[in-house]
Amino acid sequence: MYVELHARSALSFLEGASIPEELVGACAEYGMPAMALLDRDGVYGSPRFHLAAEKASICAHIGAEVTSEAGWRYPMLVSSRAGYQNLCRLITRMKLRTRKGEGSVSPQDIAEFRDGLICLTGGEEGPLAHALARDGIAGGAACVRQLCELFGRENVYVELQRHFCREEEARNQAAAEIARKLALPLLATNGVCHAQAQQREVLDVFTCIRHHCALVSAGRLLARNSERRLKSPAEMYQLFADIPEAIANTQILSSRLKFTLKDLGYEFPRYPVPDGRPQMHFLRERTREGMISRYGRDNKEARKQVERELAMIEKLDLAGYFLIVWDIVRFCREQNILVQGRGSAANSAVCYSLGITAVDPVRMDLLFERFLSEERGEWPDIDLDLPSGDQRERAIQYVYERYGKLGAAMTANVITYRGRSAAREIGKALSFEPEMLDRLSGLVGAWEYKDESDTLDRHFRDAGLDLNHSLIRKFLDLCLMVQDLPRHLGQHSGGMVVCQGQLDSVVPLEPATMPGRVVVQWDKEDCADMGIVKVDLLGLGMMAVLEDSLTIIRNDYGEEVDLAHLPADDPQIYAVLEKADTVGMFQIESRAQMACLPRLRPKCFYDIVVQVAIIRPGPIVGEMVNPYLNRRQGREPVDCLHPKLEPVLERTLGVPLFQEQLLRMAMIAAGFTGGEAEELRRAFGFKRSERRMKEVEKKLRRGMEKNEIVAEVQEKIIRSITSFALYGFPESHAASFALIAYASAYLKCHYLAAFTAAMLNNQPMGFYQPATLVKDAQRHGLRIRPIDVTRSEWLCTLEKSHKNGEFAMRLGMRYVKGLREERAKEIVRERAERTFNSIEDLKLRVPALHKSELATLAAIGALNPIAGKEGAHRRDALWQIERAARKAGPLFEMAEEIPELFENPATALIEAAHYPPKPASPLASMTVEERLIADFHGTGMTVGPHPMAYHRAEMKKQGIRSAIELQHLPNGMPVRVAGSVIARQRPGTAKGFVFLSMEDETGIANAIITPQLFQQNRTVVVHHQFLLIEGKLQNQDNVISVKADCIQPLSITQAETTSHDFH
Amino acid sequence: MAYAAIHIPGFLVQAVVRGEPALRSTAIALVDGTPPLWKVCATNKAASQAGIELGMARTLVEQFETVQIRPRSRAREKTAHAALLDLGWSISPRVEDTALDTIVIDLTGLSSLFGSEKTIADQLLQRAAALGLIAHVAVAANLEVAIHAARGFSGITLVAPGEETKRLGRLPVIVLEPSAEAFETLDRWGVHTCEALAALPVLKLSERLGQEGVQLHTWAQGTSVRSIALAESGLCFEEEMELDDSVEELDPLAFLLGRLLDQLCTRLKARSLAFQAVHLHFGLDPSGKKDLQVRNDSSRKKDKANIYAKTLTLPVPMRDSKMLLNLLRLQLQGDPPQAPIQTIRIAAEPSRPRAMQTGLFLPASPDPEKLELTIARLAKLVGDSNIGSPQLVDTHRPGDFRMDRFAPSREESSTPRHKRGNELTETKRLDETEPTIGFRMFRPPLPANVQLQEGIPERVSFRCTRGEVVAASGPWRTSGDWWREDTWHQDEWDLEIRFQISANRLGRSPASWPQQGLYRFYYDSICQSWFVRGIYD
Repeated sequence: MYVELHARSALSFLEGASIPEELVGACAEYGMPAMALLDRDGVYGSPRFHLAAEKASICAHIGAEVTSEAGWRYPMLVSSRAGYQNLCRLITRMKLRTRKGEGSVSPQDIAEFRDGLICLTGGEEGPLAHALARDGIAGGAACVRQLCELFGRENVYVELQRHFCREEEARNQAAAEIARKLALPLLATNGVCHAQAQQREVLDVFTCIRHHCALVSAGRLLARNSERRLKSPAEMYQLFADIPEAIANTQILSSRLKFTLKDLGYEFPRYPVPDGRPQMHFLRERTREGMISRYGRDNKEARKQVERELAMIEKLDLAGYFLIVWDIVRFCREQNILVQGRGSAANSAVCYSLGITAVDPVRMDLLFERFLSEERGEWPDIDLDLPSGDQRERAIQYVYERYGKLGAAMTANVITYRGRSAAREIGKALSFEPEMLDRLSGLVGAWEYKDESDTLDRHFRDAGLDLNHSLIRKFLDLCLMVQDLPRHLGQHSGGMVVCQGQLDSVVPLEPATMPGRVVVQWDKEDCADMGIVKVDLLGLGMMAVLEDSLTIIRNDYGEEVDLAHLPADDPQIYAVLEKADTVGMFQIESRAQMACLPRLRPKCFYDIVVQVAIIRPGPIVGEMVNPYLNRRQGREPVDCLHPKLEPVLERTLGVPLFQEQLLRMAMIAAGFTGGEAEELRRAFGFKRSERRMKEVEKKLRRGMEKNEIVAEVQEKIIRSITSFALYGFPESHAASFALIAYASAYLKCHYLAAFTAAMLNNQPMGFYQPATLVKDAQRHGLRIRPIDVTRSEWLCTLEKSHKNGEFAMRLGMRYVKGLREERAKEIVRERAERTFNSIEDLKLRVPALHKSELATLAAIGALNPIAGKEGAHRRDALWQIERAARKAGPLFEMAEEIPELFENPATALIEAAHYPPKPASPLASMTVEERLIADFHGTGMTVGPHPMAYHRAEMKKQGIRSAIELQHLPNGMPVRVAGSVIARQRPGTAKGFVFLSMEDETGIANAIITPQLFQQNRTVVVHHQFLLIEGKLQNQDNVISVKADCIQPLSITQAETTSHDFH
Repeated sequence: MAYAAIHIPGFLVQAVVRGEPALRSTAIALVDGTPPLWKVCATNKAASQAGIELGMARTLVEQFETVQIRPRSRAREKTAHAALLDLGWSISPRVEDTALDTIVIDLTGLSSLFGSEKTIADQLLQRAAALGLIAHVAVAANLEVAIHAARGFSGITLVAPGEETKRLGRLPVIVLEPSAEAFETLDRWGVHTCEALAALPVLKLSERLGQEGVQLHTWAQGTSVRSIALAESGLCFEEEMELDDSVEELDPLAFLLGRLLDQLCTRLKARSLAFQAVHLHFGLDPSGKKDLQVRNDSSRKKDKANIYAKTLTLPVPMRDSKMLLNLLRLQLQGDPPQAPIQTIRIAAEPSRPRAMQTGLFLPASPDPEKLELTIARLAKLVGDSNIGSPQLVDTHRPGDFRMDRFAPSREESSTPRHKRGNELTETKRLDETEPTIGFRMFRPPLPANVQLQEGIPERVSFRCTRGEVVAASGPWRTSGDWWREDTWHQDEWDLEIRFQISANRLGRSPASWPQQGLYRFYYDSICQSWFVRGIYD
């Protein structure tokens, strides 16, 4: 039987065109018992290959093609665990001593790591082909002898490949002769690069991408034919009918390759306990300390839960993992870095006691099995939220330092071809013009919802492209073929794997693009599948906002806010939530959340947990939102499906909202264990398979039968589980997020100035543009001052009023478009030494400022205070910067106007700059409209009145209502409303309806547009920033919106206002 | 002293409309770009009112039923510009070629010939209309004022001396055509009109905008003083002839061509120049199109546009009209126009005449002019694409090559060999890897019949001969250019064939026909046929 022992997957990044699963699929189809994957300079595809092969009952051999110093590649196969470890170390050494994407190995490296490795002589990229081309048959023989010396005679196979190519056949004859002379075995392989013949086109495109050329100019870089596909044993027999031993040897070699990834040899990390005590002992101590601090000494329930969890941790030998995470959290606390665990870890009382999470699972009755169970056979998943930016980086660097370069690494993130990137790269390969490339990539994925008219044909027609054109059609086919194929290896945003100093023997490591970072060759999923424990150190914008807010409060207010001890039930917060006045608040600020809040009317913390979880695809798709809200308002009775399920579903009024509830339903109704229930969740989760789901469903039914649950209720339960499991949100996760949401609401309610400054300093984040955040803060009474070079810092800051002691917020120079951070900081430094006397003084002391930067500063009024006379306007500054930006100007003018200044030429320049400002410009000041345009163009916002405010009188005459007026109008009343569009949404769950949020000077009004009306007014809705909408007012449970009947564009201002669209 | 400036608003559209007067009253959008990506580059007022915007995709514009779409025509723009200059020269010899859409005429001394300035302006408008152009005419004592007024005001504008500043004041600064940077600065300053610009202090303006500021300021005030820059015929040597009766025969055409070439040669001689290339353009009469047996792609394209274009690139600059006519005749005989000729246009690409000093000890080489004539004669016999120097193409496509223009290297003998390291290396390498076997390729390949036995060729027949396969090697498979219409997929076989000779059919004695041979056959999977590619020597 033939076994393919030289195949490359798409994880060889642009050198293969099929994913490992496809290769395994084809292998299974041909009835091949085994196959080897040799990706280029790595084992990138091996976990996926191994898993797919395991499912297909195929033996997955592992290997790699490793680049030599001369440029050719050693194809190496792993025969034992030691061989695998050697291969990983060899690749790691090669990768880490050079830049990302480069590296090669020397014979000395090979000699060091050769044990357990078998070398093939390779195809056209192999050592033998290279030697034959250079030195003929004598050179080829010498090369093979050298391989024998390096790997040992018994570990070298002379490889033959047949792709119907004359040169290759000549090479084969030479190889066969060398093998005969040296008594080495021949081995037939096909040097596979793709599973199917038609994927050769993808391979050709990848070749072009790799070589930065187009197909028309790639010439002989492209494949000669489509023969590097996976061939059936029958085809290979036929090809090598004259050398049967080359086929037979594939099976012999396959039987020698004893290693698979099942035998990975990963060892769980050990936490370096200070005095050599057992890890579990140390964990128990830390947990008990924490438990007493969190729960007090007398909480029996907590003690019981903690003991249960500790027993499980001990049984699963996970103490080291918990201690490692605890250690990271401890470091963060010591360094004043805000940290909070999220995800299923929040179900654990041990995590809560150790300070990893902030949600009390005992009080909230959270299900521990969702986090950890004996049956699941995989490591628990702990995600830590950290402030995005430098703080998170400090935590990551701490882990590197603590566990060493070969002990910790980031998980990789395999970047795949998606719509836009695929379109752009393929368009380039097909030699499309840059302009056409822009159009093509712009065509991809604008709206989440696709209606019938949103066809590709239509988009292409609109863009001026003819789908009947063969090249365009080919472009489309290729785009579809490369979808989701790997492009390159990035690093995951926060996933770290730790392995007590031996990570490089488990998986090769390589440098990331970011300095100081090392990544493993596998992504997060692969690591999880291979049983490698990981910690996610995730950057969360809101964590940074919270941390910055606390710093500002500490520095400016002189107060200390402890997020862990916020008042639990602040009535002000719930009042604000009830009004859906939540712009800027974590997770509850979106239009959909705002439309739900007045109906849900949160009264306690758990209501916020529900609120966070309910506006999700799961509850929405499962049609659980309305039943929950109706039951909450007493409009329909609470139905818990079965009396036994009451304890589980009671707190969500009979509506399952959380994954934990599904698990418990299965446990109670069908007698599942915690682990079985978790298995059920996975079966119905993202990686669902029909077969697996059917099996679990049968088991579920059997369990319910046993518990005497009637068929009708069984159906209801199963429907709940199946429709919800895919998108469900863990309760613990919702609780963690709810804590952050509560904290953000608290800060916004009580420290608006600090919160707004922190929000603006951490953009981009959240749902709204900075302009909307500023207007919202102003409506809540915060005074926001414009950018001023004599006062503004790079970031937004607070200024205390001398009159009333209230805080105003000064916009930071980070909002000046095009102003470089370093220049802004230089302005601040210079200003601290001596105030600026004039624009020329500014230019003289910060000479690196570009004219365009000065022009923007002048246009937004930031230079007004130094533009000369009292009350100087923006055009005065614009007049002066033109002169200041010309080097020779000031001296000449001063020489003309004040000759006495120039008696001492040495000090002339400085004196000129200090001389009292010159008279104003001959230019007229800006009109209101011009100021608006300049503000939005220069900063993306205005701190002055909202553009709509200037037209309010006129609007009133036309019967147009302001956003705030709508609150007092009856349901069903015809209204006209107008504003600046701040968000356009067309969610996938809304059947083509479009939701608009329009802002005016009084607030935000929402409009709903039917699919038909949208089709009629597509251009107006999509392209115009100010709209007038006529329609019926809908006021249901204080959720106010206008159902549009008519949409018109409004001419309010030419200013470049922006919106947050289609998310 | 007075100047009249003539400006053609919407020049791009007008240039097209001029050739199609029926379009004058309709909404038009001109599109430009690389097919299939067309975008709007110019519109008239009616089209703008209908909602057409610059940059729109052609397919979008097609949805506007009332809007006519035409491709932008640079040729028509050129001829419209030539017509505009003709308009100027029809009034005065003193004409300034200010821009593609603007010229200025010096009116000094013309009043006795044409009447008042108003009358001249009227005449200019009328003549422009006769040329198919709608113009704006402005007359002023100041040349720049006339230009800016023509750009800014429609119809006829007469600017009396002393009123320049006032009249220009209302115009937007864009009529002064400032640089993008200056325009941006003025826009930031809120200076949108000439009046506002003129009101700025000029010294301070110069400090800010430099000399451009001063110039713009002067223009805005209408006080700029400069002399007219008279237009010369420049280096555009072009002769055109519209024929009342279409020409179908080569001899009368050669007579006309000879006349035009003589004129061009005389003009070039006066300027001490010679032809580097001759561009020949015929406007064809589509109604008289001939039925063609064989036409290549390029001629089909040309027919579509009813234009016949030919460029004769010369190896060395020359000015001998008889020689040039001979070359053109040969070209035309080789690839004659497929319809009667209505217009003839010959353009000369000028260059300095050849000045050559041959080496005393160098071997004599053919005279370049004569060589060119010989190549042209050969091209007539074998076709343009079959003469030149064959060059290998970087592709797996079997037998692919391209013909480059044959150009003997002039430096070959004068350049010391040791300086040409690369070529020497190449030669050495070629010598070292000298093929042991030669291969003659049949072009085009010969159709063949091949009988297979278990997938291997057993018997073959081609060119009335039959043979048995003695030995077969293959298949050698190549495929590629899958993104193109002419993709290929071929399986090649090297076959040693023993022929069964049929002397009667060959009409030759069996002794003259080879008994055995080594051939390369291939099976074309696209057209599912066998061919013989060639024979090994």
